Amino acid sequence: MAAAVEFENVTKHYRGATAPTVLREELAHRTARLLRREGTARRPVVRALDGVSFEIPQGESFAILGANGAGKTTALKLATRIAYPTTGTIRVRGRVGALIEVGTGMHPELTGRENVALYGRILGLGRRDVEARFDEIVEFAGIGAAIDQPVKQYSSGMQLRLGFSVAAHLEPDVLIVDEAIAVGDAGFQYRCVERMARLVREGRTLVFVSHNTSAVETLCQRAILLRGGRVALDGPAPEVVAAYLDSFAEERLGGDGDGAAAGTHLEILRTTLHDGAGREVAEVRSGEALTVRLHYRARAPLAHPIVNVGLVDPRIGCFSIASMLRDGGSPEVLAGEGTIDCTFAALPLLPRAYEIWAGGRGERGFGAILEWQRLRTFRVVDPRERAGKGSVSVAMNSAPVEIPYRWTFGSRDGDGA
Amino acid sequence: MIGQDTSTLVAEVRQGRPPLVEAAAPDLDLALVEIHGGRGRADLEALRELWRFREVVGAFVKRQVLVKYKQAFVGIGWAVVQPIVGALLFALFLGRFTHIGSEGVPYVVFVLAGTSSWSFFSGATSNSMESVVRDQTLLRKVYFPREILPLTAVLAALVDFAPALGTVVAATLLTGIAPALTWLALPLPLLLLTLTALGIGLAISGLNVYYRDVRYLLPFLIQLGLFSSPVIFSLDVVPERWRLLYGAINPAASAIDDMRRLLIHHTWPQPGMNALALAWALLLVAGGYWLFKRLERGFADRV
Repeated sequence: MAAAVEFENVTKHYRGATAPTVLREELAHRTARLLRREGTARRPVVRALDGVSFEIPQGESFAILGANGAGKTTALKLATRIAYPTTGTIRVRGRVGALIEVGTGMHPELTGRENVALYGRILGLGRRDVEARFDEIVEFAGIGAAIDQPVKQYSSGMQLRLGFSVAAHLEPDVLIVDEAIAVGDAGFQYRCVERMARLVREGRTLVFVSHNTSAVETLCQRAILLRGGRVALDGPAPEVVAAYLDSFAEERLGGDGDGAAAGTHLEILRTTLHDGAGREVAEVRSGEALTVRLHYRARAPLAHPIVNVGLVDPRIGCFSIASMLRDGGSPEVLAGEGTIDCTFAALPLLPRAYEIWAGGRGERGFGAILEWQRLRTFRVVDPRERAGKGSVSVAMNSAPVEIPYRWTFGSRDGDGA
Repeated sequence: MIGQDTSTLVAEVRQGRPPLVEAAAPDLDLALVEIHGGRGRADLEALRELWRFREVVGAFVKRQVLVKYKQAFVGIGWAVVQPIVGALLFALFLGRFTHIGSEGVPYVVFVLAGTSSWSFFSGATSNSMESVVRDQTLLRKVYFPREILPLTAVLAALVDFAPALGTVVAATLLTGIAPALTWLALPLPLLLLTLTALGIGLAISGLNVYYRDVRYLLPFLIQLGLFSSPVIFSLDVVPERWRLLYGAINPAASAIDDMRRLLIHHTWPQPGMNALALAWALLLVAGGYWLFKRLERGFADRV
């Protein structure tokens, strides 16, 4: 099958900030080089993409994931011919509708209607084609009579809605959507996802960049993960999403240090993890007990402080909290240095990385003594798991908590039949 | 944290939808665009691409005229006011105190014909110089051959020139000069001016993206051009034997002079000088296009 978008060993360098910005300097530089007949020191460059190759078949919905600065937007800019590769080849088949970065490139002085007409022309549609879809575009953008007002009077949300609407309605063969929809309100985001899903069903190709991993999992079949301008992983979207989220956890597992936190009144010197037998551990086994030990220093004696310890999954937020306010377990006083142990009897967690957050408030919950913050990251492992790839990725993409359960089966026919 | 509010919506979409995997048969006839690394080239393919976007050029010109009309208090009228004020000033100070030959017509009419065509020329070049930087938001969002921007700027200046030309014609008629067949030759000097402005505009609009000092250079050059072109004086002041060379070096010069002569004196443009000037102007356009295409690929990275 022909590829809709194809990157072949694509590299993109940006000239660094040292490039001359006045003609006088550039000319001086060139003359100097000419006279010396040798290359003067090469200017440093930023490698945004470094030997990137991938292929998106027609009709596929495809996501590009990666941390900020990994090269996602650069890749999209190259595919849309907004920027050009330094080396390598890019092939794109068909009309491209794109919404890249925040803002839409509409002219502020022109009305929405005039902008839509212009945009349609740029995308290669005739006046009739644009007119035929005009009502649909306005309807989708939900801006009503404002379509005849200058775009400068639009809110940023309205501009975005119109921009997306135009890009998604002018019959693109390839629709490229960057982070942009994150700016719209929830209802609009919902409609965007729906619209993109419909285009994919119609056989269009979708290239989607978002940090909203659940939207990526919903919309996209396949994904690549970019890291430092290289393709780190190319595969089914759920697997790549899992690897992407895990890479953050991985980073934090290494970079967290010892879980220290400076508070206004209460300072956490370090945080250690212990198993049921009290041994300090780095990983926790699923289903076993976990003790979180906060090594604290109180700057002044704190009477009846409230300390909270939370378990956090970055995908869904804090899903379990141990709170002295709820359980009344507040100590008489915390003074000097010491430890606070919070023991979870059995962790019903599926294997992956989680975070420990903590915060503290003064007596009866008044006044912060320690801002709510992340202390460290830890990994839950499952000794029972026969680490098949499938079981891991299922675990990665389902809920973190495994409440003990059993299956029973009933039959309508009764016992004796 | 990850977008909480969409996850529920996404879940809804998830439930209600059939799997996304099944898709319509792929269309193999779609136009293939192949982009290679390296510099852009001003070749036949580039021109063909520009031709494919010809309707966009029209839309852009329309946009610029519309915007100008909406933005400026006097709108298009500005294009008329500017040369008239210029002409009046020159007439007041130069016509009074010096003895510049005005070819037998009132100096103010003579100089108006000059300032109008000069303000078209200078307007077109400075307008196109800013064109790429001015449209940087569009540049970062959507593809089109970027030379459309300086091209549009020059064409929009041409639209602006229409009322100014009308004013000159009116002034000529008021002076008692009758229309003549030579007026039909007007498009020739106009074409020369347009091509020259386009050549300079292409080069300088590309450079302006990269170098901050370009925009200070151009006004200076335009000022210089004003006094080295036959705007406020007649080409007659240039000795006969140097005239051909002068006209060839400065394609704007012969065009401005011709435009005035065919209006006022009913003389046809000189073939030799015009052929030279045309060759020069075409060379400028080719050179400007080459430079623009060379610079074009880095625009989005630099603006």
